[in-house]
Amino acid sequence: MRILVVEDDTTNREFLRRSLEENSYEPVLASSAAEAELASRTGDIDGAIVDLMLPDGDGISLIQRMKANGLSAPVLILSARRSVDDRVFGLETGGDDYLTKPYAITELLARLRNLVRRTETHPSETKTILQVRDLKMDLLRREAMRGDQVLDLTTREFALLEFLCRNAGRMVTRSMILDQVWGMRIEPETNVVDVHIYRLRNKIERRGEQPLLKTIRGMGYVLNDK
Amino acid sequence: MFSMTNKAGVTAAWRISLGSTIVFALGTTIAFLLLHHYVAQEIQRRSDAWLTGEVSVLTDVAEKTPRGALYDRIVDEIAELATKEVPVGRGPVGDPSRAVFFLETDAHSELKLWVGPGDGAIFLRAIQQSRFTPEHPVELPVAQFPIPYRVVQYIADDGSRIYLGMSERNDRQVLDRLRTWFLVIFIAIVLLGFAITFVSSRRLLRRVQGITETAAAIDENNLKSRVPATPGSDEVAQLAATMNRMLDRIATAVGQLHTMSDSLAHDLRSPLTAVRGKLELALMAGNREQSEEHVAAALEGLDRLSHLLTTSLDVAEAKAGALRMHRTRFSLNALVRSMTELYEPSLLEHHIQLHVEENAEILLDADAGLFQRLLANLMDNAVRHLPSGSNVWIALRQEQEFVCLRVWDDGPGFPPEVGLCLFEKHAKGNASHGYGLGLAFVHAVVTAHGGQIVGSNQEAGGAQLTIMIPARAERLSESAFLAG
Repeated sequence: MRILVVEDDTTNREFLRRSLEENSYEPVLASSAAEAELASRTGDIDGAIVDLMLPDGDGISLIQRMKANGLSAPVLILSARRSVDDRVFGLETGGDDYLTKPYAITELLARLRNLVRRTETHPSETKTILQVRDLKMDLLRREAMRGDQVLDLTTREFALLEFLCRNAGRMVTRSMILDQVWGMRIEPETNVVDVHIYRLRNKIERRGEQPLLKTIRGMGYVLNDK
Repeated sequence: MFSMTNKAGVTAAWRISLGSTIVFALGTTIAFLLLHHYVAQEIQRRSDAWLTGEVSVLTDVAEKTPRGALYDRIVDEIAELATKEVPVGRGPVGDPSRAVFFLETDAHSELKLWVGPGDGAIFLRAIQQSRFTPEHPVELPVAQFPIPYRVVQYIADDGSRIYLGMSERNDRQVLDRLRTWFLVIFIAIVLLGFAITFVSSRRLLRRVQGITETAAAIDENNLKSRVPATPGSDEVAQLAATMNRMLDRIATAVGQLHTMSDSLAHDLRSPLTAVRGKLELALMAGNREQSEEHVAAALEGLDRLSHLLTTSLDVAEAKAGALRMHRTRFSLNALVRSMTELYEPSLLEHHIQLHVEENAEILLDADAGLFQRLLANLMDNAVRHLPSGSNVWIALRQEQEFVCLRVWDDGPGFPPEVGLCLFEKHAKGNASHGYGLGLAFVHAVVTAHGGQIVGSNQEAGGAQLTIMIPARAERLSESAFLAG
């Protein structure tokens, strides 16, 4: 998948390139709006990551120009502003997403994955049964099982586990969990998410077995699928 | 640079005065030409009316008077009398008798009677060289007379022809005088008009130049200059006042920016030092596990730093009245419910009971994202500061056009050292490990939405916060907020 990366900062651009390549994307790099416009015309682009502050103009108008030129791929906006511009809200409703700097690369990749998937309706979106090792979730019956034991989960715990299952094998950050499970873009100063994870873990883990839900310190959590 | 603006002022004044003078002069000239045309026509019409009237009288007399010795004298006298009734140019202008002639020829075009200046034969010759229609005055140039005559012909029943002529001299003199007067007055008015326009526009532009000079004197180091106040309330005075108000606002904004960057630098230094320290430890660590531990701690430190930066900037922006908001209408109850649901496990972990009191659905026009963070801040405060076994209450109420959100607890209350500066940045109790931004942020969000917040310790013990926010965003308050 070809992902257009529009970022003027060399370090960040290289970092994005490496991360995208490691996740088997094919990055197309641009360091200015002009380069980006050219690249969007010439190459088949499946998604774009656009920094709002560019040396030759602002990212929003670049996105508008690229879309006017026929770019149909979704755009992930990177903004250094913490309070997001109204115009970004406008774009967001048009099927795109935004992320404020500094971001966790895992979150960026997750959002990118969501965006690209949204445009192709990935089969995992429509799946009604999720399975990670011997953990099984039936979304229609709202039932979760570990082995043959039914798990007693609250609605929110079920949603949290569903989110983790959908991202099984990939790291999720706390802010991703807050955003996707609670619909909140907040950065709590206390360990609220950890407490929820701790409770969920108590319900799904079995003593003596290799843990299913792993904490990666300083970053987030992974639901082990191996 | 000032000489340039000065010159520009002069040329602008020149351009304005020259332009308006040219327009004025052209307009006046056109008006005068129309007037001149009308007056000339009117004078000729009157002369012609007099001529045709008089010639019929004279013809009448000539026909009725029997030919004889008396005839010449009677007609002569009537003609004399007629000349005294010349319609225009009477008085000092020349000799009226020279202005009019009366000439009669018989059927053979022989001169019968001549009353007028000079030799009748010259006039007869001139008449014979011209074509006449009876009773229609025509212009007749006469040799030896530089100014032509206006002549009317009348043919009597016996075939004799009567000619009455009047010199156009008087008419022309009237028009000449009209033109002279016009020219004199025209030049005087044009010159005066030009001078007045030039001087007044120069004065006006000099006031504008004062504003230019003030603007030119302003740079990042000097925001104190102000445009000298001009008396009156005309457009330039308004411009000066507006400019001064704008400068006030800019000075305030720049001042706030300085304060903001100073406090930001202060806020960031110590956490940055902590992150740096952890990374140094990671480098020096003996094994990979220890090193990873330190890097993870550094990452957590960076997250806190980023959060601190965000909040700090939000508080500063809100104080400067520049916090960006994206207002939508949402249910405050739903937001409080999902927030309590998120925090309840944490609170229970600390053995703190949360009680929510709500009765009716409350819809609020506000920035939902900011309100999420506001509630998260209050919850974080409860988790961090309340001792085990405490209770927290949240009550939602609608009071007319205000939404009241009350949060109170049975904990130890706000520490006395926080006192009056509860909502100031860095206000925190001695025992607190935070950065003292939480309540400052809450306060910033509330005031940015046009609301009020009061914090106090209850008599029975425990802290209490009361937040009042207008439920509906007034267009006015929002625009005032953006402009502010």
